Amino acid sequence: MRFRAKITSKDFIELFIQVSVTVGRLAKVCVLRVSEDKLCFSPAGPMATGEAQLWCEVRRGVFGQFHMQGVSQELREIYLELKADLWSRAARSAGKATSLKLQLTNKHCPCLTLSVELLSVSGSVRKAVHDVPVRVLPIRWWAECPEPVIRAPEMSVCLPASKTLKNIVEKMAHMSSHVLVEANWHGSMNLSVETDTVCVQSHFNHLENPSKPARDTPRGDEDAERMVQVRVDSRKLLQFFEGQQIHPTSILCNILSNALHLVVVHENVSLHYFIPAA
Amino acid sequence: MLKCTMNGGQLKVFGKTIQALARLSNELWLDPSKQGLVLRSINSSCSAYGYALFSPVFFEQYQWSTSGTMNHDDIPLTLNFKFTMQFLLPIFKCLNFLERNVEKCKMFTKSGKCRFIIQLFCKHSIKKTHNLRFEESRPIQVLLEKNMCTNILVIQPRLLAETVVLFPSNLEEVTLAVTSVDFCLRSSNEQAADMNSSVRSSMCVDRDEFDFFQIGLDTEVTFCLKDLKGFLTLCEAVRGPVAIHFDFPGRSSPARARLTLGQSRSSQAAESISRKISRKRLCPTESPPESGAQENHSSPLKKRAPSREQPDRECSPVFRRVSTERLG
Repeated sequence: MRFRAKITSKDFIELFIQVSVTVGRLAKVCVLRVSEDKLCFSPAGPMATGEAQLWCEVRRGVFGQFHMQGVSQELREIYLELKADLWSRAARSAGKATSLKLQLTNKHCPCLTLSVELLSVSGSVRKAVHDVPVRVLPIRWWAECPEPVIRAPEMSVCLPASKTLKNIVEKMAHMSSHVLVEANWHGSMNLSVETDTVCVQSHFNHLENPSKPARDTPRGDEDAERMVQVRVDSRKLLQFFEGQQIHPTSILCNILSNALHLVVVHENVSLHYFIPAA
Repeated sequence: MLKCTMNGGQLKVFGKTIQALARLSNELWLDPSKQGLVLRSINSSCSAYGYALFSPVFFEQYQWSTSGTMNHDDIPLTLNFKFTMQFLLPIFKCLNFLERNVEKCKMFTKSGKCRFIIQLFCKHSIKKTHNLRFEESRPIQVLLEKNMCTNILVIQPRLLAETVVLFPSNLEEVTLAVTSVDFCLRSSNEQAADMNSSVRSSMCVDRDEFDFFQIGLDTEVTFCLKDLKGFLTLCEAVRGPVAIHFDFPGRSSPARARLTLGQSRSSQAAESISRKISRKRLCPTESPPESGAQENHSSPLKKRAPSREQPDRECSPVFRRVSTERLG
């Protein structure tokens, strides 16, 4: 079982740090699945009722060098359980690094070693090494960390600017513990909270709908204007906007019958965040 | 008897020094003398000591005379003023504000009443007066045997601060490991509480980054990171090079590391002395090793007051004689 990878591009180092910090904020413990073509940060264990779940993939193209050898010839993967906040703190030290290296090592215990080379003010190279302890998961536990089943959503819309949404959701979270998210195929989206004394709604129009599923042939404007909704915990939604650090191409909001599925779309990274319906 | 004045900029540096020393202890000793005004603090486990000397040239005006108190031999008794940081710190809370708004700051003692007055003359004719009570106490005795230090390093504080910031903020201790070619800071192995769930970090700094690099003996010294960070924030205010003098724990003398900061123009010297945690080796029967961070431990060492006079071979040995050295 071996793993060694290196990033030398400044932009990709920045991206990797953003991914690590996001994972640190949105999950407590996660499983890093090392495959031949990507790294995945996935939930540790099956989805607990009511808990939001994160799944984040970093494609091999981010790494200048990538060598891995799985647990066996047939099972070419490695599953490592780690504490997300420890990982995120170690990765954060790589800001402004010239190179970032990941390696599976066995020091005082199995570790994922993050080695960073930094250029100091005086121009010389400085090395920082962080040994993040991990737990190598045995094969019999792999079944408990399946890939998420991504069902076709009932509604899908591209979100407006994260910063705006974050401010709105932050204020809404103060008012109520739940927020209603609804959208339609005309590019309209509403966020609303309701308490005994007040009802607040934020409307967004002219948003883009990603391609509709084939079975949904247009049945007329009436159908396209129908709002599909889901009610979620406002704090969990806020946590997503506060924790999400990646600068994406876009963020998709998929409304399912029992969850809100947020997708951060980026050329080399994809992040899925599932918030169960409340 | 002390009377001194400074402007907003000088007050900011003075305030930063107090903030840095506050990280060590809740008590501050103010010791005026002919050489200048000395600020000192020592942590409760006597493993770290901070000292800053502001020479008369630093102030706009500096007047000092021996205290009116005499001992029974009619020799003037030089006493320190001891303050509680809790009451002193709020005065220096917003340093940028002080720098911009204070036109003049006057500090003086009221003889016979144990009162220290700080008057801030601010813009728009606003005058703020702080009236602080102090205790008179004997000065802390500190033993600094500079000639015992075989290792000397001089580095710009910013380079050191850049290294230190890479460690997780909740890390208590760091170990400095040097060889003739290497300088390495790493998280201390001695925090073995939960080895498998904490990150071990290490940073290596190239010897070319040092203004002066002399290592007589390969050694390892352990610091409380909080103490070191406190000292480095002070260095940022003064912007002088940092000199680190240290050796290694031997049988009869513990290791000590001394960081000195000197700047010729403002004539201020600051020192922070932290001791290596070598207690386990020297005194195996003693209670767990002290560190600045473990202040809740009721170690027998804490009961020995800093003014202890006996030469010490064992666990709180460092502090015996005051040294008022400065660089620059």
